[in-house]
Amino acid sequence: MKTFIKNIKRYHWYYIMILCGITCLILFSYIPMAGLQIAFRNFKPGNTIWNAKWVGLKNFWFLKDTEFWRIVKNTFVLTGARFVVSFPAPIILALLINEISNTAFKRIVQSITYIPHFISWIVVAYILDSFLSPYGGIINQLIEKLGGEAVFFMGSNNWFVPIVTISSVWKDVGWGTIIYLAAITSIDPELYEAAMLDGAGRFAKVKHITFPSIRPTIVLLLILSMPNLINAGIDSIYPLMNNANLEVSTVIDTYVLSNGLQLGKYSLATAIGMMSSMVSLLLILLTNKIANKVSGEGLW
Amino acid sequence: MVKKHIKHVKQKNDIGGKVFKTVNTAFLLFLCAVTIYPLFYIIVYSLNEGLDSMKGGLYLWPRVFTWFNYQYVFGNGVIKHSYLVTIARAVLGTLFGLLVTGLTAYGFSLKQLPYRKGLMLIALIPMLFSGGIIPYYIQLSRLHLVDTFWVYVIPCMFSVWNMFVMMKFFMGLPEELRESAYIDGAGDLRIFLKIILPLSKPVIAAIGLFIAVWQWNDWYSGAFYVSKASLLPLQTYLQRLFNANSLSMLTQNSQIVAEAAAHESQTATMTITSVKMAAVVIGTLPILCVYPFIQKYFVKGMLIGSVKG
Repeated sequence: MKTFIKNIKRYHWYYIMILCGITCLILFSYIPMAGLQIAFRNFKPGNTIWNAKWVGLKNFWFLKDTEFWRIVKNTFVLTGARFVVSFPAPIILALLINEISNTAFKRIVQSITYIPHFISWIVVAYILDSFLSPYGGIINQLIEKLGGEAVFFMGSNNWFVPIVTISSVWKDVGWGTIIYLAAITSIDPELYEAAMLDGAGRFAKVKHITFPSIRPTIVLLLILSMPNLINAGIDSIYPLMNNANLEVSTVIDTYVLSNGLQLGKYSLATAIGMMSSMVSLLLILLTNKIANKVSGEGLW
Repeated sequence: MVKKHIKHVKQKNDIGGKVFKTVNTAFLLFLCAVTIYPLFYIIVYSLNEGLDSMKGGLYLWPRVFTWFNYQYVFGNGVIKHSYLVTIARAVLGTLFGLLVTGLTAYGFSLKQLPYRKGLMLIALIPMLFSGGIIPYYIQLSRLHLVDTFWVYVIPCMFSVWNMFVMMKFFMGLPEELRESAYIDGAGDLRIFLKIILPLSKPVIAAIGLFIAVWQWNDWYSGAFYVSKASLLPLQTYLQRLFNANSLSMLTQNSQIVAEAAAHESQTATMTITSVKMAAVVIGTLPILCVYPFIQKYFVKGMLIGSVKG
């Protein structure tokens, strides 16, 4: 106790500083976590999270709802497709950029491909609309010129997943290369020289030196990207949703949002949200464990 | 024999190398074009007369050049107001964000601080698990933040991710700076303000810009935590406009109707799409204009944060 008081006294400014951030976390992260209990209560407007009536597992009826499982399927189809394309894309692009020997060209490519990261998802939706619209969108103009019939891409169930995947690659592939390029730059050039003496070609060097050197970075980003498999992201999905594609575009995130904030079913929406938070946590823990087992490169 | 073999391999590589280089350069050029063209296209569209654009065939340059789409957007009181909201939240959000995140980061940057590990754990847990949007919303409304301007600023003051970036930067500064100043009798707060802060301009710039861009582009808070029309930020306004399919949805106030009538000949050539494009360009251009100058700070911030440890 005595040392505790002494420590606090000596370092009080540091603790005050840390407390600024921790207060924010308590208000906007920890109290909402405590708010998860309304998944087991019947929360009505006017209630607090502490005084709503307990109802046990009643709110979890959605687990037996086929509608809910259809939405889970939508989510995984969407996030799975997005992951398969947009996780490896920046790695490949980084390797390609690294092969450029002209530094000016390299810088230009980097600067240009970073730009879309700073564009909002709403603007991305506008861009998609101007390209894909059946009334004069560029893509449909081309299709018509080639003798085809205009396609209503934005309102089609078949095109929703490809559109989301392509737009997320367009937006973030360049930005994603930054970390990989930094990892590649830190590789000892002597390794490449030694490999060259051994007669290793361009692809052998990538396979035996570059790739193994950036593997820890890849694993790190893989673990961090796991929550994206369950959180499709309202930010990027919602602007592209419309009545014509609802059947495939409703994902867990948007389902929670519309049930909770728009229809006022707070307890149900919280229960669904809690399941998805737990799955997301499990995915991170599991990937980390596998990474540790396989190569000892886990986050902790 | 061996020598000959090496020479052979080298030669083969050279040809293969050249082909690879050409293909690679071509591909990257193509990628740059694909990246930039959509942005270029919305600018072209916004500078062309709406009715003319409907005819199609508009690709690289405005055919019937006009500023009218922009005049119309700037004449719209709602858009102008939403622009001010966005600027206000970007400025205040960045200031408060830097203050709270920076102070916390400095507090955590002292390695020998007692109980640091436990406090760090408190900061880390929310990265792995969250209460989700509904309890978050209930908390916002309990704090009376819903439907106020401060919902854009206060809940976003602290970001664990940004805090780590700043903490790594502070930890990278020589420890002796702090120690010698302390021995000279300077207090901890004084050391932070007089010695550490002046050395931290790059990280402050980087994180400040991250926050500012985030604030600028966030349409989400405006759409779900706010219902007052006077608090709509630009991106949320654009989100609402996205599904609008007639010009009448734009002209809600009489001043604009009057103005539109005055320009009737021009209004007739305007379409909802051309006006939308002008609004989108106005919402994006500030970021695109400052981007070339601040790019290096973004990359720096990204790199400080990516070092594992």
